[in-house]
Amino acid sequence: MGKRVAICALEQVKNEPDIWYQRFQGMLLDCLEPILEKTGVTFDMDKGIRNVITCSDDVFDARTISDSGITDVVGAHFRGEEKMAQDSINGLGYAMACILSGHDDVVLYMGHCKESQAESRYMNTNLAYDPFYMRPLGIDFLSANAFQARAYMEKAGVDDDHLAEIVVRSRKNAAKNPYARENEMVSGDQVKNSPYLADPIRELHFYPMTDWAFGMLLCSEERAKEFCDNPVWVTGYGSCMDSYFPGDRDIISNFALKNAASRAYSMAGVKNPQKEIDLFELTDQSAYQLPMWAEGVGIVDEFAGGKWIEEGGPDKSQVNLSGGMLNGNPVMLGGAARVAEAWYQLRGEAGDRQLKKPKKALAHGVTGAMGQHHGVVILEK
Amino acid sequence: MKEGFEDSYIVEGKMALPYSYFAGRVGSTFLTTLRDKKKIMGVKCNTCNKVFVPPRQTCERCMEDIRDNWVELKNTGTVTNFTVVRYEDKHMPKKVPYVLAMIHLDGADTPMTHIIEGVKPEKVKIGMRVEAVFADEDTNTIMNIDHFKPVTEKIEVRERADAGGTGAKTYTGEQPETKKGGKPAMSKKVIITAALSGAATMKNQIDSVPYEPKEFAEEAARCYKAGASMVHIHAREENGMPTHDVARIKATHDAIKEKTPELIVNLSSAVGMGKTPEQRITQILEIKPEMASLNTNTMNFSIVDRKTGKIFIDFIFENTFTMLQDFGKGMEENGIKPEVEVYDMGGLDNWKIVAKQGIFSKPYNFNFVWGVAGGMAFRPDLFMVLKNALPEDANYTTCGVGLDEFPAINMSCLSGGHMRVGLEDNIKLPNGELAKGSFELVEWATRICEILGKEIATPDEAREIMGIKK
Repeated sequence: MGKRVAICALEQVKNEPDIWYQRFQGMLLDCLEPILEKTGVTFDMDKGIRNVITCSDDVFDARTISDSGITDVVGAHFRGEEKMAQDSINGLGYAMACILSGHDDVVLYMGHCKESQAESRYMNTNLAYDPFYMRPLGIDFLSANAFQARAYMEKAGVDDDHLAEIVVRSRKNAAKNPYARENEMVSGDQVKNSPYLADPIRELHFYPMTDWAFGMLLCSEERAKEFCDNPVWVTGYGSCMDSYFPGDRDIISNFALKNAASRAYSMAGVKNPQKEIDLFELTDQSAYQLPMWAEGVGIVDEFAGGKWIEEGGPDKSQVNLSGGMLNGNPVMLGGAARVAEAWYQLRGEAGDRQLKKPKKALAHGVTGAMGQHHGVVILEK
Repeated sequence: MKEGFEDSYIVEGKMALPYSYFAGRVGSTFLTTLRDKKKIMGVKCNTCNKVFVPPRQTCERCMEDIRDNWVELKNTGTVTNFTVVRYEDKHMPKKVPYVLAMIHLDGADTPMTHIIEGVKPEKVKIGMRVEAVFADEDTNTIMNIDHFKPVTEKIEVRERADAGGTGAKTYTGEQPETKKGGKPAMSKKVIITAALSGAATMKNQIDSVPYEPKEFAEEAARCYKAGASMVHIHAREENGMPTHDVARIKATHDAIKEKTPELIVNLSSAVGMGKTPEQRITQILEIKPEMASLNTNTMNFSIVDRKTGKIFIDFIFENTFTMLQDFGKGMEENGIKPEVEVYDMGGLDNWKIVAKQGIFSKPYNFNFVWGVAGGMAFRPDLFMVLKNALPEDANYTTCGVGLDEFPAINMSCLSGGHMRVGLEDNIKLPNGELAKGSFELVEWATRICEILGKEIATPDEAREIMGIKK
């Protein structure tokens, strides 16, 4: 096994549909202050935080160089600061690289997004596409995901009943997570009767609009004990980008996720993920992605997703006990929210949803529609 | 209002940023070709041999510069995936619901994303053929194709040679003596019948099966053009169910005759499952077609899975001696020539018994039917046994269900008989592809004539052969 990086502190605000009463700067401050207090870390340029990595999105913040709106409140002035504009999980991978390279030994890792600020999330994700070939068609992350949903569901025997089961389970799990967005409990029939947004994706199949912020303190193995007694270790990270145009990709192949996972497994020395990893947190923007990504990380046979749901696979493999992205996290922050769940579980602080002594966890983030880019981290106690 | 926030302020903002995007040299060529020539261009990587659309300068897999390797694609393609966008938003170019699809253009290797219109969202299917509809005004983007619409396939019929078409060029010289001989006399000209609908072939199997009178008329005209001189009809209701309704059958019959007066229309006296004898014969006697089917024996007539032997629909097709007698008499008295349907030797013998009454006028016309679940499967030797059991002054044609169709009609044509094809019996071409319609099966039947040196009968020649007095 290679070197590892410690997560010594993690703080977050509660996921909410519309935190209109607070600026995202304030949300970040609510995360930073307890980190400083609990760990005693400072911004001292010799012994403290010399580098801050932030995660945010320009279009969702309606401000280019979106980090410039928050660097002051996260202590990023007068020191190193870099922004991750992909899914936040890659910010963790980047922080890990900073530390393992020896460039820094203590890194503050923060992220925010208020989806509620935008008039339409879909209008925003439409801007992720080029102005010539895709954007004029009105495509966005939701309608693009619908292509993948149709193709994958057909191939993997996943039907409307399975999706309903996934949504119901997500909400039940999230109800035990004090940081999760508070959603109405729904029945399978309610899911199946919710209107189609983009067939075969129904309204309740897609994650709801959410605001959230988080912060974590990372450091080298050598310095971990200065900040906490029981750190969670990041032992592996991998990412992979697939082709841009939907037509250039094999959209049911899970190519990028398989690649990202195998790189993370190899770094963390994981040979058999199903056996060695105790919990999996997958960024499921839409219900069909839960079984699909589970196939991608290698805990379900290829195209056996429907059967896996029927056989209670998500509970057996302990997938998305947090409720998942499907219950509500903002765009680009799904990965960090998955890391947060793994962090509580591995430290034994997951309350009602606590697993019995988990040792190893996988957290996953996805950027773009239909899984164009995936990031995977392996976390250990 | 949350407590303590009474005097707080929310500022409404907007990002509205005009931009000028350079389309790139590759993109510019693509977009201007769309605009000026209404052509969709792809670029080919010569290393992996893939043709990409939208175009790009470099193959991302081979890292090869492909900017100059333009390939002209067709404006048609196949839908490989789609969604119906049902949520309204400002970035949508169309009113919702609209269909976003991945379309594999003919000549490309990667499907492109675009919009489908001109079809109800619930009718869009993977595999559907679509064609580009170009925008009237330049948009500088992919929207120079305004949308794709379902292909209105141009139906081209291989036209019968005697009508000056490019179809079967058949031997018109003297027939050798050996080919003339036999009992009954071999017909020199071959009558091709197109059975357009039957009672069980539905649009969910093949879209070109007609339900509406207009559809029957159009398909019958195509069949005539291809070489058929007679069409056999089971009229359908709007929902596709076979009907005994006189008005509907008459409308269907008349629509065919109006569009193609030359054609012989042969109406079914079987109609469909569960019809009473009265419902079956009344329509014939009222409409008085030139010919009608006359069935010869009560038999199983079921729908089964031929691979597993599983029975889906079990049905007894009732044709008692009395019905054979009464239907036959009614037809002959009204100048309707019966086409005697023979499902096995027993049926032929039944007809022979009733024929003793002197009901039937010469020449007699028989149809050997193969492959019905409840009847006999096609066998060449059995075919000859039936043929040899026919009375003097008899013509025979044949039809076969599914895979029996082409072997049976080959045998008939070869042995001096006539041929029936059509979607009632079979929906696939000999190569296994779905036929474009009954007319395409007629085209294949004309090829048999071509090979065997047989001439194709015109409707008037067919009338003369079968003894139909116009």
